[in-house]
Amino acid sequence: MAFDPKFIRNFSIVAHIDHGKSTLADQLLLQSGTITPREFREQLLDDMDLERERGITIKARAVAINYVMDGQNYELNLIDTPGHVDFHYEVSRSLAACEGAILLVDATQGVQAQTVANAYAAINNNLAIVPALNKIDMQAARPDEIREEIFSTLGIDPAEILSCSGKTGQGVPEIFRAVIDRVPQPAGDPNAPLRCLIFDSKFDDYAGVVIYMRVVDGVVKVGQKILLMAGGTEHDVISVGQFRPHQVGVDELGVGQVGYVTANIKRLSDVRIGDTITEALRPATESLPGYQEPSQVVFCGLFPATHNQFEDLRTALQKLALNDASFTYEPESSDALGFGFRCGFLGMLHMEIVQQRLERESNLMLVQTAPNVTYEILTNKGETSLLSNPTRIPDAGEIEEFREPIARVNFILPSENIGAIMQLCEDRRGTYLKTEYITTTRAILSYELPLAEMIYDLYDKLKSATRGYGTMDYEVIGYKASDLCRLDILVAGEKVDALAIVVHRSHADRRGRKLVKKLRAEIGRHQFEVAIQAAIGTRVVARETISALRKNVTAKCYGGDISRKRKLLEKQKEGKKRMKQVGNVEISQEAFLSVLDDSDD
Amino acid sequence: MNATEPTWVWPRAAYVHVPFCAHKCGYCDFASLAGADHLAERYLAAIGREMEAATGGVPQEVDNIFVGGGTPTRLDADQLGRLLAMIRRWFPITPGGEWTVEANPGTLDSAKADALAEGGVNRVSLGAQSFQPDLLRALERNHAPEEVGRALELVRPRFNRWSLDLIFGVPGSTPENWVDDLETALSLGPDHLSCYGLVYEKGTALWKQWNAGDVESVDEESERSMYEFTIDRLEREGLAMYEISNFARPGHDSRHNLVYWTNDAYFGVGLGAARYVRGVRSSNTREIFAYLRRLEAGLDATGPTETLDPESRARETSILMLRRTQTGIERADFARRTSFNLDDLLGEPIRRHVSRGLLEDDGSRIRFTREGLFLADTVLCDLL
Ligand SMILES: Nc1nc2c(ncn2[C@@H]2O[C@H](COP(=O)(O)OP(=O)(O)OP(=O)(O)O)[C@@H](O)[C@H]2O)c(=O)[nH]1
Ligand code: SF4
Ligand SMILES: [Mg+2]
Repeated sequence: MAFDPKFIRNFSIVAHIDHGKSTLADQLLLQSGTITPREFREQLLDDMDLERERGITIKARAVAINYVMDGQNYELNLIDTPGHVDFHYEVSRSLAACEGAILLVDATQGVQAQTVANAYAAINNNLAIVPALNKIDMQAARPDEIREEIFSTLGIDPAEILSCSGKTGQGVPEIFRAVIDRVPQPAGDPNAPLRCLIFDSKFDDYAGVVIYMRVVDGVVKVGQKILLMAGGTEHDVISVGQFRPHQVGVDELGVGQVGYVTANIKRLSDVRIGDTITEALRPATESLPGYQEPSQVVFCGLFPATHNQFEDLRTALQKLALNDASFTYEPESSDALGFGFRCGFLGMLHMEIVQQRLERESNLMLVQTAPNVTYEILTNKGETSLLSNPTRIPDAGEIEEFREPIARVNFILPSENIGAIMQLCEDRRGTYLKTEYITTTRAILSYELPLAEMIYDLYDKLKSATRGYGTMDYEVIGYKASDLCRLDILVAGEKVDALAIVVHRSHADRRGRKLVKKLRAEIGRHQFEVAIQAAIGTRVVARETISALRKNVTAKCYGGDISRKRKLLEKQKEGKKRMKQVGNVEISQEAFLSVLDDSDD
Repeated sequence: MNATEPTWVWPRAAYVHVPFCAHKCGYCDFASLAGADHLAERYLAAIGREMEAATGGVPQEVDNIFVGGGTPTRLDADQLGRLLAMIRRWFPITPGGEWTVEANPGTLDSAKADALAEGGVNRVSLGAQSFQPDLLRALERNHAPEEVGRALELVRPRFNRWSLDLIFGVPGSTPENWVDDLETALSLGPDHLSCYGLVYEKGTALWKQWNAGDVESVDEESERSMYEFTIDRLEREGLAMYEISNFARPGHDSRHNLVYWTNDAYFGVGLGAARYVRGVRSSNTREIFAYLRRLEAGLDATGPTETLDPESRARETSILMLRRTQTGIERADFARRTSFNLDDLLGEPIRRHVSRGLLEDDGSRIRFTREGLFLADTVLCDLL
């Protein structure tokens, strides 16, 4: 029996990173009796290895819980979302499946960049917002000041703001009450043709694709024949269920309910995030709005470290794409690295996570090239193209205009650090926009910056310049012509396509010199001398030589301790695992990535 | 205990460790103890128990024995005699077998030499290391160069087979120093020489000095030329290289060392001793009191233990066999011992290094080329 929508509430928990979303979700599970104290563990919903290792949420997770208030049983579907800016797409997909959002603000940290970004995302989706201060158990909590910050940045009435602690559970019953009172019940017609929004999916070796969806109209049942509207394929529903938090089967799900459907779908491409499920026999006429495609900001090449694994990598990418719709991939071939894929990501952390998930979930070893942004090139012939691979950028003589992506960046930071961050932005070709004060000690500083100057490491620089108190958010606003050029790297006289980067002409010589030094340190010695050069067109701007390896033999007496000897060699071998042979030279993963590193050491 | 098991499964060789030393040399990371001579009697009792346990109380015949250290000749003549008797009891040697004892020049006297000869030892390995006082000082060895010759006067009349150990690449040494050392060694008429390149082992006194920048290692080019000179000079003298750091006249190869390089099984007893029995590698604790107490309590003193899967074992076999510079890896022998086809397992890296001129392949065996000897570790780690 489908649950009466009158008593269903669907909401997400959104906040800046680490403000305690997953910890609050733990309390909601515990206090509703969804899990027993014995099953409890911290950040229970962060069940991916990488999430637990890093202590952050990467994937949004939906859970159905029942909560009895004033004698009435409610079904609450909550989605715990990630806070890191790179996973903002997870947040926006979650919001589209909800009528409300708990906006958490850490009572010791206050309003941060993703607090503002996520709050606006919820407001723009017309969601009811339940604002709450979290971590009020902490000594350093400053609830009054932070209520004031929330009011001045988001215009939220301080009287509406609740307080709670995900750690102690204090204030959590009031959160339940506010959600039930303030979040509207799901609208939708139980008698209309079925429409479900697919907001996520994953691949299971036995069940095939598991679709995570929310029912908007109608009822989805076991045995029903469904139609995926965008793809046009039909399937028989094998199972329907909810996450509590583990998969629990039910016969059917009705209006407003959130859960999963399996239909023995083995072809990964049949399922698209944002598509609508309808009934095959009584299809809906109109599909649901779906999602806006996210736009990737950093790109890199991913290549299998061992040859013949190109197809394995393709399968791995397809599988992962089911569970992460926000990265792109297309085949690319490199002279240096062979066949691989050019992949696009929503940020550096996203790139790292995707690479690690590919390796772990499909047991692959990858070599990654240095990331870069997309460039827009206007050629002499008047053609414009977008290029996300430096190798494909034509020679300077053919370029009429070289354009790079520009981001609008908002920093929220202690006002005493404004000077330092302005200096950082000026050094990076930034254009100052404005400063707004949230309180007397904290401000929002806005700049326009070339994406390439901010995306790789500005966040780290901000963190260290503000001792962790500064945060930032950005948005790509368009392309601008700039004096850029392609810097090529030659190893042993051969141009290595995978090492080419785009630099501003005024920095080209300096970058070139630094880069060949870095490569000299990263590329191991060979039996012969290896020259490394940086060149713009035919002009060599820097050169270093790696001397030949003359002796590498341990002529030592190890007695019978063979294990020890072997371990020493294994250590040497470890460093060679992610190596690519370019001509006669072996180039390590570190070398490919080192071209990005502009730091001095 | 099965005499019909192949030599790579059940040992036909034994290593016995004696840890006592007069003082600790600067480069030494062996299981050696300075100033612990008062523990000798306890140690002998313990090692006796260990041999009994290792053999299951049933004497195990072996083809070769190596008593190393430490400094076995740090024991007095009586103690040496008793140690050798215990070894004979538990590891009786086949007629014609090889029994080596390591000796340090400063510690050998005629009573000890007699004890060795009478005890059944037929080969002595003498740790000369260098003949230059300043280099011996850099190594913190406490013997004088002349003592090597004196020790040999005791060795020659009693033993047909003996060997000298030398170390090259000592900090402060030049290729000319090394030529001197090698010529001096040759003038003593050895049939076997071990020439080791100095390694700064983490934690040793020498490593600390080197790590702090107080001692500078010999540059790579000089080290290469020392090694190169060694190979050529000894070859001319009739001492052919048969392993990366070992040289011998025909028939004088150290059979015990070849057990290691063939990846055969061996027993190992004593402080820190390693053994390889029925596919399991293990080694004893390096803590003397832990060793003594465990054996006195009737327990075994095994520390780290490792059992490799068949493929890793085959790879390990390949890197050991390659160290035998003349024999190399024989395809048929490799297949028989490991059940792996060499080319299926390692064809790719072998071909790569053949094409780079570091390995040679005559169709039945793989060996290092001359250039390959200098880059042996580069090749070996690709086979792992
Ligand atoms: N003292 C205290 N600590 C809390 C509270 N809530 C969360 N924390 C701690 O804050 C840290 C971050 O908590 P999470 O729940 O992982 O934060 P999150 O918002 O889910 O983080 P992301 O999903 O990565 O954005 C953890 O170390 C929690 O133990 C609270 O109410 N009080
Ligand atoms: S004599 Fe040998 S075992 Fe003893 S301390 Fe010196 S190097 Fe080490
Ligand atoms: Mg979380």
